[in-house]
Amino acid sequence: MNSETLDTLDNYSKNKYKYGFVTDIDNEKPKKGLNEDTIKFISLKKNEPEWMLDWRLKAFSKWKKIKAPKWANLNFPEIDYQDIYYYSAPKGFDKKPKDLSEVDPKLIETYNKLGIPLEEQKVLAGVAVDVVFDSVSVATTYKGELEKLGIIFCSIGEAIQKYPDLIKKYLGSVIPAGDHSFSALNSAVFTDGSFVYIPEGVKCPMELSTYFRINAENTGQFERTLIIADKGSYVSYLEGCTAPKRDDNQLHAANVELIALEDAEIKYSTVQNWYPGDEDGKGGIYNFVTKRGLCAGKNSKISWTQVETGSAITWKYPSCILKGDNSIGEFYSVAITNNFQQADTGTKMTHIGKNTKSKIISKGISLGKSQNTYRGEVSFLRKADKARNYTQCDSLLVGNKCGAHTVPYIDSKNNTAVIEHEASTSKINEDQLYYCRQRGLSHEEAVSLIVNGFCKQVLQELPMEFAVEAQKLVSISLEGSVG
Amino acid sequence: MNIQDNYLKNKKNIFFSENKDIQAHREKLINIFENDRFDKKNNESLKNINLKNFIDFNYKYQIPEETSVINTNQENSYSIVSLNGQCSSFKDDKIEITKILDEDYNDFSKNDIIENNDHFVNLNSLFLNSGFKIVIKKNNNIKIKILNIITDDDLTIFQKNNYICEEGSSLNLIEEYQNKNKSTSNILNVIKLEKNSQLNHFLIQDNSPNHNLMITTHSSCKKDSTYTQKVYNFSEGYVRNFHYSELIEANSEVDLQGIFFLKDNNTSNNKTFVKHLAEDCKSNQVYKGILNDRSKATYFSNTYVDQVAQKTEGYQLSKGILLSDNASYFSKPELKIYADDVKCSHGSTIGPIDENAIFYLRSRGMSKTAATKILISSFINEELSSIDNEQMSEIIQKKLVRYLSKVK
Repeated sequence: MNSETLDTLDNYSKNKYKYGFVTDIDNEKPKKGLNEDTIKFISLKKNEPEWMLDWRLKAFSKWKKIKAPKWANLNFPEIDYQDIYYYSAPKGFDKKPKDLSEVDPKLIETYNKLGIPLEEQKVLAGVAVDVVFDSVSVATTYKGELEKLGIIFCSIGEAIQKYPDLIKKYLGSVIPAGDHSFSALNSAVFTDGSFVYIPEGVKCPMELSTYFRINAENTGQFERTLIIADKGSYVSYLEGCTAPKRDDNQLHAANVELIALEDAEIKYSTVQNWYPGDEDGKGGIYNFVTKRGLCAGKNSKISWTQVETGSAITWKYPSCILKGDNSIGEFYSVAITNNFQQADTGTKMTHIGKNTKSKIISKGISLGKSQNTYRGEVSFLRKADKARNYTQCDSLLVGNKCGAHTVPYIDSKNNTAVIEHEASTSKINEDQLYYCRQRGLSHEEAVSLIVNGFCKQVLQELPMEFAVEAQKLVSISLEGSVG
Repeated sequence: MNIQDNYLKNKKNIFFSENKDIQAHREKLINIFENDRFDKKNNESLKNINLKNFIDFNYKYQIPEETSVINTNQENSYSIVSLNGQCSSFKDDKIEITKILDEDYNDFSKNDIIENNDHFVNLNSLFLNSGFKIVIKKNNNIKIKILNIITDDDLTIFQKNNYICEEGSSLNLIEEYQNKNKSTSNILNVIKLEKNSQLNHFLIQDNSPNHNLMITTHSSCKKDSTYTQKVYNFSEGYVRNFHYSELIEANSEVDLQGIFFLKDNNTSNNKTFVKHLAEDCKSNQVYKGILNDRSKATYFSNTYVDQVAQKTEGYQLSKGILLSDNASYFSKPELKIYADDVKCSHGSTIGPIDENAIFYLRSRGMSKTAATKILISSFINEELSSIDNEQMSEIIQKKLVRYLSKVK
């Protein structure tokens, strides 16, 4: 345990949820509720072409027919879709600012509080940040440099205007609008998100990153991200999430689609730290996210890494469809739940092509009165010759009021495919704890150290900038519930 | 004929149809069937089942002409031939065998979770037409062998057996199912283990392709008791082995083992659900399957650890070997844990026979078929060698040889 982590622990225990401030900016909203008018309003506001509106309306008509999935091990009141604002944009955004100086200074301040000063970050970290504030992309940095390589990195709204062919071809190709209730909802009302296209043979020289943030009260955030890696390209994409403190429960239903063509590789990392609700389980974000990647070409690779520490409810299954021969899917996850948080997260690996490989490492830590579920499906279809899967999911329980659950689905229809799954559940090893205490660490430090070690296998998969942040987050999440 | 018509038409022949409480419960079940319609999409336990056979069937039951025989050749050893699920009454100072009574109906069958999930147990409650109750008296050590025989074609047997092991008793129960005729058996075993008692339950299933067998077992274990189940499934017809276990008092243990050998178009559904409801309990589950041709198998395993069940040890292991392109295996080993001082794990593997091992054997002059057979035998050797009953061991070996003779 280093002093840095301890300092952070101190800081955070004083500040509680540091990101729980509200930026006071006039919002321009349509009326509450979900109907065709809301969708038309969103489409009009975003100045979308007709085909996009049709696409949305089609998704909406599908949504009306589909019931929300009930199989997850989650307990929450029914969501009233008519009591939510579906669009919220800071006023004066009808005309887009050309650079940061034209942006409302209050917004910039918000991000400074979050610790991502755009100006600085440009120079220091070498990360191009596409910030999404509520629903409208504020500023896209580093655009020029990426453009030189032919990389497209912009908001999805912009992509609909500028690259309709790519959007028409790929949007909804991995997650069809009618897939399930939340994907239909997102397809109907998505407001913004990122679009990335990496051309053939290009290795993206920097980590692309987006910071999502829900600001206005009673606003659902429905972002849509689409990443296409053309033949032989590589991209690493970071996503971070934070939300202000609210008593109400807010809804977040995002869709992320990844497409990797021949020999391409996509690495997608998430640190999710939405507001988890207070100690009594009041408030917090409902996080219903659909993430799916398609390894369309031969030798392609998609790798998901996630650190889930926030949200009152997490419903999230980043999955891979391994269609191309020799393609690889990976999933690394740390999910920490505390207080009254509930997480039902995992992955789905569908092996279609020959020699496809997948690897799943999942670590769940439950504290307080939380419920943490790993739910994962691995399936080998008939033609997936010589496919291979390895799954490991471990759970750690701290305290006897929480629950840790493992629900794997394993389906093999091919007799040359090999599948291995192992899981274990236990509490923190007393011997390890004793060893640390003996060397002068306090109980809390010792637990934090052991938990960090428990997660190491996953944390080391994160890009450098995130790894440090994630490690701190892990320690902070344990705060107050140990001892 | 559908379920409701079958019920109304045959009401007179079904057990306890004069009891008002039971009648009310059955009407409730019919309602569940009407509304649920065996919804495969939302009920995983129905996966791979050809439901038509079980929804549209012709109810037919015959009271056997001969009565069943109970032999006591050796001391403490009984052998029973049960005909159409019936067994005549018997009593001595060690055991007591009787018909099942009205009050036995409620055991396990009346229970929210089952009513909404396990329709085959519901069918059993609805059409109950046979069964018996065996009580092992205090501090006795007993061996019972039951041979289940169905006398005619087209019979539908809905049987419920209750076993009660009184304090300090021990029972070795061997059940054999070898039916050659076209019929369906739906059997529910409800087992109660009192303090410090033991039950070793062996099931050997070897039915012809026309016979459908569904066995559901429920065991509840009190303090210091142990329940062991070993199922060997060589059947060529459909077999469903479901087991529910409740560890209700401290230091009890349940040990479940299942091995199935499938070929042709056969299907086997397996499920285990172990509930740890007290501290210091242990559970162990090992399921292994060998699937050839177009066979399909499912294995659902669920270990639930209650908040009070500290110091629990719960282990699951499932392994499957697919010998053919068209075989498929689905497994879902689930852990639900609400206590923190536990050691729980599960492991699951599905795959072909190890090519390197085959290569090793072939490089020493063995044919591919011989090598495959040796590797299959070694795959289950651990379980087979743990059988301490010589006679049983021989029977199983013979059946294994018969299965292997079809393997190429």
